[in-house]
This record gives sequence, C-alpha cells and structure tokens, in this order.
Amino acid sequence: MATLSIKGVRKSFGSVEVLHNIDLELEDGGFLVLLGPSGCGKSTLLSIIAGLEPSSGGDVVIGDRTVNDVHPKDRNIAMVFQSYALYPTMSVRRNIGFGLEMRRVDTSSREDAIARAADLLQISHLLDRKPGQLSGGQRQRVAMGRAIVRNPDLFLFDEPLSNLDAKLRVEMRTEIKRLHDRLGTSVVYVTHDQVEAMTLGTKVAVMKGGVIQQLADPQTIYEKPANMFVAGFIGSPTMNFLTGTLEQHNGGLALHHGSAVLALTDIEPGAEAFVGKQVVAGIRPETFSKGEGPSSLTGTVDVVEPTGPDTMVVLDVGGQMISARLGSRERPHPGEPMTLNVDTSALNLFDPDTGNRI
Amino acid sequence: MTSNPQSIMASSRPLSTWDRINPARYIGELSETRFWMYLLLLPSALLIMGVVIYPTLYGFQLSFREMRLNRPDLGTDWVLLKHYQRMLSDQIFWISLRNTAVWVTAAVIIEFSVGLIAALALNRNLPGTKVLAVFILLPFFLPNVVAGHMWALMLDPRLGVINDLLVKVGLLGGYKAWFADPSTAMAAAIIVEAWHSFPFFTLLLLAGLKGVPSDLYKAADIDGAGSISQLRLITLPMLKTVIAAAVILRVIGLVNSPDLLLILTSGGPGRSTQVLSLYAFQTAYKDFNFGYAGALSVIMFIFLMMFAWVYVRLSKVNQD
Repeated sequence: MATLSIKGVRKSFGSVEVLHNIDLELEDGGFLVLLGPSGCGKSTLLSIIAGLEPSSGGDVVIGDRTVNDVHPKDRNIAMVFQSYALYPTMSVRRNIGFGLEMRRVDTSSREDAIARAADLLQISHLLDRKPGQLSGGQRQRVAMGRAIVRNPDLFLFDEPLSNLDAKLRVEMRTEIKRLHDRLGTSVVYVTHDQVEAMTLGTKVAVMKGGVIQQLADPQTIYEKPANMFVAGFIGSPTMNFLTGTLEQHNGGLALHHGSAVLALTDIEPGAEAFVGKQVVAGIRPETFSKGEGPSSLTGTVDVVEPTGPDTMVVLDVGGQMISARLGSRERPHPGEPMTLNVDTSALNLFDPDTGNRI
Repeated sequence: MTSNPQSIMASSRPLSTWDRINPARYIGELSETRFWMYLLLLPSALLIMGVVIYPTLYGFQLSFREMRLNRPDLGTDWVLLKHYQRMLSDQIFWISLRNTAVWVTAAVIIEFSVGLIAALALNRNLPGTKVLAVFILLPFFLPNVVAGHMWALMLDPRLGVINDLLVKVGLLGGYKAWFADPSTAMAAAIIVEAWHSFPFFTLLLLAGLKGVPSDLYKAADIDGAGSISQLRLITLPMLKTVIAAAVILRVIGLVNSPDLLLILTSGGPGRSTQVLSLYAFQTAYKDFNFGYAGALSVIMFIFLMMFAWVYVRLSKVNQD
C-alpha cells in the first residue's frame, strides 16, 4: 500500500499537449477514479503512472519514491488492461504467476500465491485452462488475479469492465469494490462510465481536454459540480440547465425564467454578485416533484419514458426541454400541461460566461 | 439455400418466347440451387487436376516404368520397384539426400533468424522503416536466376567484389574460388540462398507481429519480463502458426528448387553441392532417364509430406 502524488505532470505528442499540469493526491488505500470522455487524457495519465509512457514534465511519486525514471517492473504496481492482456499461449496458472516467475520467486511460494489469488477470485477450477477457453468475466478475474498476486503498492485499472455485458459489468464492479475493501491497496481506475466512478471511487477526478475539471469525493462531484462540464457529465439523465436572471426576492434571491420564479435557498455567498445578471441554473431531474410549490415550473409534456422504478418526463418549458424523474405511478400524456415543483436547495448556479460554479 | 423454381415461375407473369430460350434465366435459376457451389468450383478444380494432379500421378507411374530417351532399345515397360531398389545402392542418391538435409536445414535456420530480426526491427514503426522495408524485401523480388548470376559474379575468384573487399580488410590472404572449393561451396551457396529468401520470413513474420496486441508487451513490462523473455515467452509463441506455415512453405521451396544450385555450382565441385532436386533434374534432362528421375521425385514428395505432417504435430499448431 502506498500514497500516490502527481505533481505538475504534462504530456505532449509533438506540438499537441494532451495533459496540462496535472496535480493529484491519493491517500494510502484510496480509490481514485479518472473519469472523462474519450480523448480527455485519462488513459495517458494512467500509462505515465505505470511508466509505460514517459511524461513531458512533472513528477510521479509512489509512496515516498519519485518514479519518473523507474522501469514499470520496479514501480511495484500491477495493471489490469481493458483488453485484459492475458498471454494467450499460457495457462491461467502461468498467467497469474508470470510476474512472480519473472521475479524468480521459487516455485512453491509462487504456487501458494497463485492458489490464494485464485481462491479469492473463485477461479481455482480454471487454472489449467488457456485464456481462449474462458468467458469475458472469467478473463477479467484472471487479469485481476495477475494483478493481486504480487501484493503491489498500487493497482492500475484501465477501463477493465468496458468489454463486459451490462449484467456482468455490475457483478464485476461489485467484485472490484469487495476486493479493494478486503485488500486495502491504493487504486487508480480509469473509466468513462460515471456509474463506475460514483460507486467505486473514494475520490473522482473528472477530466476534459487534458485538464482535471474537478477532484473530489463522488458525492461532492454530484451535488456540487465545479462547472457545467462536470455537472453535465455526471448523472443520467443529465442535469437540466435553465437560463434565467438572478433577482432579489422576499429578502432572498430568486431565479426568474419567463414567468416562473424559483426562490433559491442554500445559496453560495458569491451569488450576490450576480444579481440582475443572467445565470444558468443546474437542476437534477430527481429534484422535481409533481404539483405546485414555492418554486414551480409549468410546461407541456413532450415525452414520457417509464423505466420501471421511475417515470422520466420531458417537459417543454417555454421552448426549453426539462427532464424530470417522477414516481413510477405518474403517467402524464404528451401534450397535456404539467406543473413541477423544484427543490431549490439542491440547485446549482453557474456563470454562463465561464461555465464555472457560482 | 434452395428454392423451388416452379413456385418462382408460378408467381410470375406468363413466359414469353425470349424468356423461354434466354440462357440467363436458366443460370439465374441454377444459382438458387445447391449445385451452384459445385459449378463455381469446377473451373479451379479442373485446372488443379490438369496441372497438378495429372502430372503428379504421371510422375508416380513414371517411377515404375523404364523410360530412357537415349536408350529406346530398353522400351517403356513396367519395372515395378527397380528404380527404388537402385536408389538404395546409389551413392549419389545418399550424398544428395545428406546434402539436401544440410542445404535445407542451414538455409531455413539462417533465413528464419535473419528474417525474424528484420521483422522485429521493421515492426518498431520508427522513422524510415517503410523505406527500409522495401530495401529489405528487394532480394526476394529478384528471380533466382538473376540472383544466382549476380552472386556468381560477386564471388568470382578474379573479378568478384567480395573477394576484393575481404582481401582489402585483411580477412583473406588472396582471392578465393568459393564455389570451386568443396569445403566452401555449400556454405557459399547457402549464404546466397539465405540472402535471396530471408525476406520471405520477414514478410510473413512482420504480418504475424502486427497481429500481436501491444497490451501484451505492456503487461509483460509491468510483470518484469525483459526483451529476451518477451521474445521467448510472448512473441515466438504468438507467431507459432505463422512460423509453422512459413517453415513448411520454405522447406518445400528449398527441397523442390534446383535452380540456384544449378546456376552456382551444378552440384559440384565433385558432388559437394548435389541435392535431390538437382539430381532428379539432371537425371531427367541430362541423362534422359525419366523413370529414375520420377522415382527420385516420388521420394522427395514422400519426404516432404512426412516432414510437413511431423512438423505440424511437433509444433502443436492445431492445439491452439
């Protein structure tokens, strides 16, 4: 187990800079998720941490050791790849024990370690098979077995669940969480799946264009996104953005959108500076409830999507589409008018010019 | 997939006279039947039968007959195993067999090794590798005859540039007739053959290397495998099928082609570079003894079949 510090790491390919001054800290035993869309630089950052890719500047510190010039094998890390990267011509047993074999660990210790890892991952019955004879989920377990067998300081996961079907992905996600709880080893996990990020991470770094947009615990990322990109990237359906004017209202502040007035509570102190100006309100779909209230929006039902536990309703409010998550028993019809009340305590305000949280 | 032509016709309008005699209509209907596949295979099957199977079978039956064009008095009767019995006591046959083994083994080992090194280098995708790839493949584009004459000239004891260079750098005391000395003729011929054909391995191994996922090497880096271990435990096992196919094709090519040795040495000096294919060729077209040449060819055919079978079994290609 070890801490991880990334200090001012940069990466350029020719004149194209793909990582800009990345700073990160991961506590001992923490689970850091690098989250972002394709091309945001998250996998490149992981490769730099692993030593598979040289950085163009900055430091990578694992524990108390700066490892910039240390070969991947000497960093005491283990990595699980998106493709699993199992050696196709070797048995599962040899795949798992390959790292130990290369480090000249004696056969009996190696066999013990393989047996322990296989037991933990419930793949003892697969040890003599070749990777080609395994299902996707089994290969995933073998890849994790290869990672845990060496007791590394740091686990690196590069989109490990991307190639699995939806059901297996949920199962393996739970498995990874259980494994982390049990082993307590620090993890850096790359994904573009926000559900994985929210469920697994103790810390989430949301990235875009080679820059960390926000680094915080999952709840903070969800409830208090640092900017409109993070707000829009996290959550499904995505957060609603409603443009309006911030005005004084009954001794407090309110957002005026057309004829609707949303009285704001729990406002950040900086919001006062935006009175009389246009702001963007970020409203999560689950903060709506049906019916009149102190902060209501009225519109026409456009689309109704029952999902089982919820009913998603898309409402046309003065030409702006709003998604609301309502109870499963709600069954409005398209075309009919509907009024929704907003829990404004969960509302976020953004500066429309910078996109940053107010 | 089959369909009933009657049902197709029943659903269409009445046939005109032209429709009835139009051959395209019958071909169209035939293409919907299972016989279409066999019809499409027929031209290539006939071609193979005409240029491969018939000559092979003819060669087989020739090996059981007397057929010497310069001895018409012997006739063309069946002689059963006479040629094969003669082979057992034919010193030249045994020398040729041994030389063939040396020629093929040494050439394949050198060609594979150099080809692998070149393929690994070209697989790096460094600047200039595309131009280098063309240069490396150039020898393979040369016909054997051209390559043979070129090297014969380069190794010529009086005019050869290689002798000149070796003397100038001090490796040789004087000009040497490489192909006239029984102790160097085979080695020199093998080097020429390897130079000419190593790009065959380069080409196939490079194609195989492109199919090895780069993640495997990244994983091996983290697992602590060095370059040699990665080559031995990842690259070569991943190339097993390609290597097996390339070696079999190359062995067949080497065993069957007498052209380079014919140009460079004609099997000499003495019998030092006499190989089976050359012996069979000379028996047929110099001695005009087609019966015995046929028997030699049959033996080569059987050896190659056995080699291919044993090699595939030993390399366990089918198991993955």
